[in-house]
Amino acid sequence: MRPFNRLARGWRSVPAAAGLMAALLLLAGLGIIFQSESAYREQKVREARVQAEILAASVTAALDFADAAAAQESVNALRVNPQIRSAAVYDGEGALFAGFQRSGTTLPPTLAEILPPEGSVAVAAAPVARDGTRIGTVSLSVVPEPLSRRLTRYALIALFVVMAALVVGVLGIAHTALRRVNRELAERASALAEANRELEIQIEERAKAEEQLRQAQKMQALGQLTGGIAHDFNNLLTVIQGSADILQRPNLTEEKRIRFAGAIAQTAGRAAALTSQLLAFARRQPLRPEVLDLNEQILGMADLLDRTLGERIQINLDLAHDLCPVEVDPTQLESAVLNIAVNARDAMLDGGTLTIRTTDAEQNAERGRALLLAISDTGEGIDPETQARVFEPFFTTKGVGKGTGLGLSQVYGFATQSGGDVFIDSVAGEGSTITILLPCSEREAATGEAAREQQVRTCAATGCVLVVDDNEDVGAFAETLLGELGHTVIRARSGAEALRLAAQARIDAVFTDVVMPEMSGLELAERLHEQRPELPVILTTGFSDRIATSGSGGLPVVYKPYRLETIAAALGEAMRPKEDGP
Amino acid sequence: MATRFASVLRGTATRMLPGLLLLALAQPVSAQPLETSVKAAFLPKFARYVEWPPGARPAAGTPIELCIIGSDPFGEVIDDAVAGQRIGDNPVVVRRLAGVDGASTCHIAFVRGRTGRSTAQLLAGLRDKPVLTVTDARDGSARGMVHFAIVDGRVGFHVDAVSAARSHLSISSRLLGIALSVRQSS
Repeated sequence: MRPFNRLARGWRSVPAAAGLMAALLLLAGLGIIFQSESAYREQKVREARVQAEILAASVTAALDFADAAAAQESVNALRVNPQIRSAAVYDGEGALFAGFQRSGTTLPPTLAEILPPEGSVAVAAAPVARDGTRIGTVSLSVVPEPLSRRLTRYALIALFVVMAALVVGVLGIAHTALRRVNRELAERASALAEANRELEIQIEERAKAEEQLRQAQKMQALGQLTGGIAHDFNNLLTVIQGSADILQRPNLTEEKRIRFAGAIAQTAGRAAALTSQLLAFARRQPLRPEVLDLNEQILGMADLLDRTLGERIQINLDLAHDLCPVEVDPTQLESAVLNIAVNARDAMLDGGTLTIRTTDAEQNAERGRALLLAISDTGEGIDPETQARVFEPFFTTKGVGKGTGLGLSQVYGFATQSGGDVFIDSVAGEGSTITILLPCSEREAATGEAAREQQVRTCAATGCVLVVDDNEDVGAFAETLLGELGHTVIRARSGAEALRLAAQARIDAVFTDVVMPEMSGLELAERLHEQRPELPVILTTGFSDRIATSGSGGLPVVYKPYRLETIAAALGEAMRPKEDGP
Repeated sequence: MATRFASVLRGTATRMLPGLLLLALAQPVSAQPLETSVKAAFLPKFARYVEWPPGARPAAGTPIELCIIGSDPFGEVIDDAVAGQRIGDNPVVVRRLAGVDGASTCHIAFVRGRTGRSTAQLLAGLRDKPVLTVTDARDGSARGMVHFAIVDGRVGFHVDAVSAARSHLSISSRLLGIALSVRQSS
């Protein structure tokens, strides 16, 4: 129905010009046919008259001398023309003198009986004159070409005309249709443009809303984070402050003094671990990778895990033999395993089983040989929506103060920074598995024994150490520590002062802070090496963007907060080549 | 002979000019007078189909002279035939001559000697003159430019275009078209 209506509309709106043209063409065609027909008739009549005149001229003498035979000969000459139906010569009295007729016609015996032309027959008469005197009359009746032949000829013209009219008409219709389609297209295009504009506005609004939402989420996350950190730090600070208060009281027994000093050290260590996690999720965590045996590390954590998870959760270890060594930061590895385990514990409030599995990963051309550390629980599982976000920093399903939202972020940061990857796989109600992929190391794993031996060697180190730090407290602390280690210590409070002192005294090593006003530790190291390239320089920092991004330029780095053994090991390592040298 | 002229009469009754028919009907039933009167009617008509050379051509208004040279077979019939006849602007007059003397002004000359030989002599006298000579087969074999003959009971004529051309006469092709035969220079 719709196409028909369209067609009907199309027909109605055919441009008048096209219709008029088609009508004119048809009229012109008809005109041509009529004109041609009338011209044809006129021509036939003219031809008949001319032939009659010729015949009249040729029978003049025959009539004059009453030679009917000669006249008949002249008349018979016309028989060859099939269109001449009859020809007759009448004498001066109007009597038939000579003539012929074809079947179907009769020759009137006298001139007076010649009927006026009838239908398509043309009759022409010509006088036979002699010196202006009419001595007879010639009469010819001519039939034109048969109607069918003329019609055929006209049909051809008519066909052309009709075709031309059709072409014009079709062009007109096509033009109209095209114009309508164009109009519709233009309307649709403008509608589309309008819709597009609306869509763009909506997109813009949505982007704004999303931005606002993100901002809100960020603020919420920051709130959670700061809440969590404040909570944790307050707990730690309570322990530290309380212990410090107790230590300040007089008449403290040796046993209590050791206990509270130990509590301070332990709590500070936990605080350090917390800041380390903060850096880990930002993936700006300075890694201290070591080549180690993963299984050994997991086994070493068994007691810790037992204590963390409690009695209701059973721990299964499924460790593959002959795994390749991996090169990771053992502290971060421990944190990652602990973070996953804590999440597992929280997912299994009614108890369950935690399975830690190590296995060789399938060899992959892209990343080479690797191994997998999979930790599974039998908890409530994680829904897909949450799965997609578990590695996001700040994301947590726990209430304020219960978690920082950094646990799995740390896992993600650790895995990717170690050149590996992390995957989550969970079925609601059946439990979750988090798998860490770690690339194999080409190097040999250091055993605990070797590490201990190394420590013994560094313990013997002595020498004159220049400590550079703009922070008075940290500088004084470092001076105390190095003094404890048996080194002679000179202190400087800026890079410039350090350069001056290094020029005056004989320095065996430099222990410098990185982030300082005016001259950074890295610059200082550079300047010192210009004078003494072999001088060992050890950098120390709580966090340095530059070192995290571009490295320390080959210099050893001790991260704050550091402990006695850390700084001893670093100094020993840095000064060793000098002692071993020739 | 009677049968021949009866057939002429039949042919005339059905196909000949009505004037001649009437003329024939007015005469007593005789072949000879009918044939003669047909020939007499023909004679002035020849003037219409002949073009005389300049000088011999009759001036406008002057009569065309139809001469009967030798013995006259027509009598009054020829006078009746030319009476009132006009060829163009020219009337026709009949002159009867005994010989060729004075025949130089004739335009058409019917030549008939007593014998065939005398006819030939008369014709010789008119040779090369711009005169259309007419003879009759009944009078012998001597032929003028136009020579009457009876064929199939009808009066017809032979035309000698060669001798006409020699006399600077041109004969219309229309006349040649109805002639029994035409002698032409090959």
